[in-house]
Amino acid sequence: MKGSDYLIGRDEPILVTGATGFLGPRVVEALLERGFRNLRCFARHSSPVARIEAVAQRYEGARVGIVKGNLLSPDDCAEATRDVALVLHLAAARGEKSFPDAYINSVVTTRNLLEATLLQPTLRRFVSVSSFTVYTNRQKPQRGLLDESCPIEGRADLRGEAYCFAKVKQDEIVAEYGLKRGIPYTIVRPGYIYGPGNEAITGRVGIGTFGLFLHLGGPNTIPLTYVDNCAHAIVLAGLTKGVDGQVFNVVDDDLPSSRRFLRMYKREVRSFRSVYVPHAISYALCGLWEKYSMWSSGQLPPSFNRRSWNAYWRRTRYSNDKLKARLGWAPLVSTPEGLRRYFESCREKRQHA
Amino acid sequence: MLKVGIVGCGKIADAHASQILRIPGCEIAGVCDREPLMARQLSERYPVRKAFRDLPSLLSDARPDVVHITTPPESHYELARMCLESGSHVYVEKPFTVHLDEARALIGLAEERGLRLTAGHDDQFSHVARRMRALVESGYLGGRPIHMESYYCYDLSEPGYARALLGDSRHWVRRLPGKLLQNVISHGIARIAEFLTTDSPQVIAHGFVSPRLKTMGEREIVDELRVIISEEERATAYFTFSSQMRPSIHQFRIYGPKNGLLLDQDHETLIELRGGRFTSYVEKFAPPLLFARQHVRNLATNLRTFLACDFHMKSGMKCLIESFYRSVAEGAPLPIPYQEILRVAGIMDAIFQQIGTDRSADRFTVQVPERTERPRLVLGGHNHTRVKPSLGAV
Repeated sequence: MKGSDYLIGRDEPILVTGATGFLGPRVVEALLERGFRNLRCFARHSSPVARIEAVAQRYEGARVGIVKGNLLSPDDCAEATRDVALVLHLAAARGEKSFPDAYINSVVTTRNLLEATLLQPTLRRFVSVSSFTVYTNRQKPQRGLLDESCPIEGRADLRGEAYCFAKVKQDEIVAEYGLKRGIPYTIVRPGYIYGPGNEAITGRVGIGTFGLFLHLGGPNTIPLTYVDNCAHAIVLAGLTKGVDGQVFNVVDDDLPSSRRFLRMYKREVRSFRSVYVPHAISYALCGLWEKYSMWSSGQLPPSFNRRSWNAYWRRTRYSNDKLKARLGWAPLVSTPEGLRRYFESCREKRQHA
Repeated sequence: MLKVGIVGCGKIADAHASQILRIPGCEIAGVCDREPLMARQLSERYPVRKAFRDLPSLLSDARPDVVHITTPPESHYELARMCLESGSHVYVEKPFTVHLDEARALIGLAEERGLRLTAGHDDQFSHVARRMRALVESGYLGGRPIHMESYYCYDLSEPGYARALLGDSRHWVRRLPGKLLQNVISHGIARIAEFLTTDSPQVIAHGFVSPRLKTMGEREIVDELRVIISEEERATAYFTFSSQMRPSIHQFRIYGPKNGLLLDQDHETLIELRGGRFTSYVEKFAPPLLFARQHVRNLATNLRTFLACDFHMKSGMKCLIESFYRSVAEGAPLPIPYQEILRVAGIMDAIFQQIGTDRSADRFTVQVPERTERPRLVLGGHNHTRVKPSLGAV
């Protein structure tokens, strides 16, 4: 894509929230690689900024400012968004188990940022990074296709997952501000973002419990996206003209099955005991857990239920056709290469542990 | 039907809402938060009649019989005062207030209006705490308590709260006189305060910022605290708060002239510590067996409670709320005597004054220590006795 094809000029200010997280530095680098020279990185007071500074140093003439603050503060949001042309909103409440904590750190922060951007006539687009977790994936045939047209979880509170609830509500508020207040936006929904820096095994493959790994994915395709590929998609969602109001799912090509991923992980990183739980059994167990949680008035929290089973362990196909067609996205890193880097990083992390 | 309101829709409000809904005969008539989105999210996830933007609207529109205040502590006094003045009974989350004089003023106002108050010391009402109280009341200790030890630890490596607090120089916890300690230690202090009798225990406190926090650049948050509390020639107590020691325990030991008890809040176990000794080598073999038997009994009790679906993580809160509602609806005695609430507030004031986290010490009626003399608490004259809460519908 040529510079004139971009939505904004290369010297116009761009705000990246969540800039110090797993994905943030890759997004910053992706912008710098495209010649954008006026970046503002928003980070919490406690977040280390060494990675961002290291990235910035590699690009001569780049102005990469770091704004420290809290998105719960309207003043901090106003300061961060002053004169910005593009907002790439990556900050998220990942890992929060409490619904109010996840909500305040996803929805209230996003609302504050949207309110602040209303005062900026320079704003051309607000890119909100969401997640595959928002899709319900129920009432679809086995091996059905999950794409941007699929329904969102209607009762996200019943999923038993604070992150899902917060992300559904975040998407709603972004769309609401787009519709009612005229903020131009796009929503990017990545699958599972993997790569060096995130060495965990996604729960879509399985869960470790009491020293045993329950393999729940089996033959399912795992919707992976390598961190650089995802960063590339987010940047394109911010810079491409004519995609306001659109949603883009992000998954890579040549996705492995859960079984293949687990086999490779055991071979490349470490061997451990795992037990495959067939889908019919995992579905029944999730249903039983859900019933017991309801019957006991939440003595066990509804962490496992049929909604979560459908979202994470139902056999599904994924599409990146819209991403390719509308944004001209193509993976920068192939899945075999991405997995090789990921496994190498896992091995290094184990050695340093 | 008892109409309940909740003010403040953060994390702890979830616990309140879920426990209130387990109690028959009450409904959540309204919730409010100064952040309307937070009120909205709570009302979307629980059966709540209406979400409000502010407390006056909640009080005038929903007209709750009881209001639960689950906001940060700085606002407790003002919000509770508004609720009492509008005729609602009030359950205030811990810490009850920021200062003793505020606690005294609220209790005075409640008594003047014929309304009721309680503090969110719900750990005191867990299954194991109730078992311990029953044993103490049965005379197991063999007399008045002689010494107590309360451990209340907090693992700051927990990502959510610690990251938010340590990484934010403007976090609301930093504005509290006792900072982190003020928001956390009430439960551990309340365990001791329950068994004190005097209104003016001596308090000797030593607190410091742990080396680990210092390496993270933290200079303000005191996360290690040791306290000696004594009642003249009667009961004494040690209180320990630590963010660094492992295991990160929540334990209480109480010793009488004959026997002692060890309560472990994390494991929900109660161990009887018999005062007698066996002869010769039997002392080396019999006690381990007896302790093993007690642990098995605790396991069986916990399993039974779980199978009876009454082993929720916040079952103590349910019991406290239920007891409070009964005192409101039926005139039953208060679950926590006012004297105990004041004693906890007073001890905390004295601690923060001594360890230097409270820079507004002239607010208190705590005597300034001179060389060997330590601060004494001066409490009001409220003589309510604790009642044993019973279960059942309001």
